[in-house]
Amino acid sequence: MRRQILNSPDDVVSEALEGLALAHPSLIVYRPDPGIVTRAVPARNKVGLVSGGGSGHEPLHAGFVGTGMLDVAVPGAVFASPTALQVHEGTVAADSGRGVVQIVKNYTGDVLNFQIAGELAGDDAVRTETVLVADDLATDTDEDGPGRRGTAAVLAIEKICGASAEAGADLGTVAELGRRVARNARTLSLALSAGTHPGATTPAFSLGQDEVELGVGIHGERGTGRIPFADADTLTARLVEPLVTELGLAKGSSVIAIVNGLGGTYPLELHVAARAVHRGLTGRGVTVARSLVGGYVTSLDMHGLSVTLLPADPDLLPWWDAPVRTPALTW
Amino acid sequence: MTTTSADIQLVPDFGRLWVDTLFETFLDRTGALGELDRRAGDGDFGTNVSSALRRARQSIDVAPPSDYSGWLTAISRGFLGTGGTSGPLFGMFFRDIARCAATGEPTLGEFSSGLTAGLATVQRYGKAQVGHKTMVDALAPAAGTLESAVAAGAAPGTALEKTARAAVGGARGTIELIAKRGRASYVGDVARGVLDPGAAAAAMLLQAAALAQAGPGGRVDTSWIDG
Repeated sequence: MRRQILNSPDDVVSEALEGLALAHPSLIVYRPDPGIVTRAVPARNKVGLVSGGGSGHEPLHAGFVGTGMLDVAVPGAVFASPTALQVHEGTVAADSGRGVVQIVKNYTGDVLNFQIAGELAGDDAVRTETVLVADDLATDTDEDGPGRRGTAAVLAIEKICGASAEAGADLGTVAELGRRVARNARTLSLALSAGTHPGATTPAFSLGQDEVELGVGIHGERGTGRIPFADADTLTARLVEPLVTELGLAKGSSVIAIVNGLGGTYPLELHVAARAVHRGLTGRGVTVARSLVGGYVTSLDMHGLSVTLLPADPDLLPWWDAPVRTPALTW
Repeated sequence: MTTTSADIQLVPDFGRLWVDTLFETFLDRTGALGELDRRAGDGDFGTNVSSALRRARQSIDVAPPSDYSGWLTAISRGFLGTGGTSGPLFGMFFRDIARCAATGEPTLGEFSSGLTAGLATVQRYGKAQVGHKTMVDALAPAAGTLESAVAAGAAPGTALEKTARAAVGGARGTIELIAKRGRASYVGDVARGVLDPGAAAAAMLLQAAALAQAGPGGRVDTSWIDG
């Protein structure tokens, strides 16, 4: 039986966003109607960046609103797409005259509502471009279907596009940069236990003590297979190896690595995994040019982690290194 | 030479009449639509439709629309502010419907063009074809029937009545289909034998349009959705 720090499951998203805004009054503002989070001081004369999706993945996306990243976040209910009107309001709010890049994780509802919002924004003479994030290697199949899910690579895209937009790049340039990162980044996840919905008492699925779910999604979706529970180095290798193969990372190549906690993984565990990722990559002659370790794209209190690898093209690193100041990411 | 009925204006105040009839028709039936969705989809359809209409009603109460386009835009925005995937699709459908009139109430031809445009928009976003067990199965025969009726010179009342019948026929046809799109596509054979709630709702809204044109006093017969 899981207990949670809640008033009411219906209010969890709005109350948490209110709390986030109260904690960071110099960075963000929460507008309950229509349900968007904007910068406290809107940027001027730059390409706007809006992202959003279901809640339950905090600090994504509202935690990444601020200088050097998003202009607006549009949170839906837990694991549910924001509405088209919400995204429309967010898109219009993100525009300062140079158009808006919508960063969308690849889920049917999100894609539909962002597409519609883009069309509605056209009525307001706001130009939009879309970057679709579909990085989850576990859902890479040849079958005719919705395609790969969007997971933790969205963080890299928001950071890199955010820096480029802040530096004054135009709409097409920011969008193309985002699409390139989306094409090149891949993520793989595993979980020792699933997350529990606000108000629910049992997790989305259960696993035996000796089982680990490989290839999980971030909405309580089952993975692609079970693997035996093992030590951190062994488990981490189950994520790194398929990514290295998929990306064709040869000796001498260089990556940006994100070791991401899924909500219920504590920092000591994550850094043990980060060590394993580092050693696994360097052991293959792959340099870790930059890395980020922490719980950034979560799934409620899921106990698990994801690894995202992005080939570190030399021109990407200055965007990655550029200053950022948001509730959840600052350097 | 055949005379079309494209230029005949629909009844005065058609927008308000249609929207009023919509509210009345759906009020008691969202529970039944939700039940269909629980049998074949994920169960949220009834709630989504009722919250979309509630949102539309609120905006109408706050700022009463002054013309056809205003009435239908309120419905469109009600749906666009709703979750799920059918909600936004109906929202975009009504957006085309709201835009079909050049000024004031639409002519029959404009209404027909609006329906055809709305169908195309739903298909563009939803990627559904006829036979996929979605709202398209009601809207496509309706749009085709209305186009033919207008070309044949049918009076608006007759044309919209035929359109509604075609939509109901199309919706009823979804009972035997296996879903290829939407949440029901995940449950495969389980959904066979169940009327698609999206198609049912699409047919009901065209029944409401026919009744609005026919004049006061009637009531939309939705008993067919109970099987």
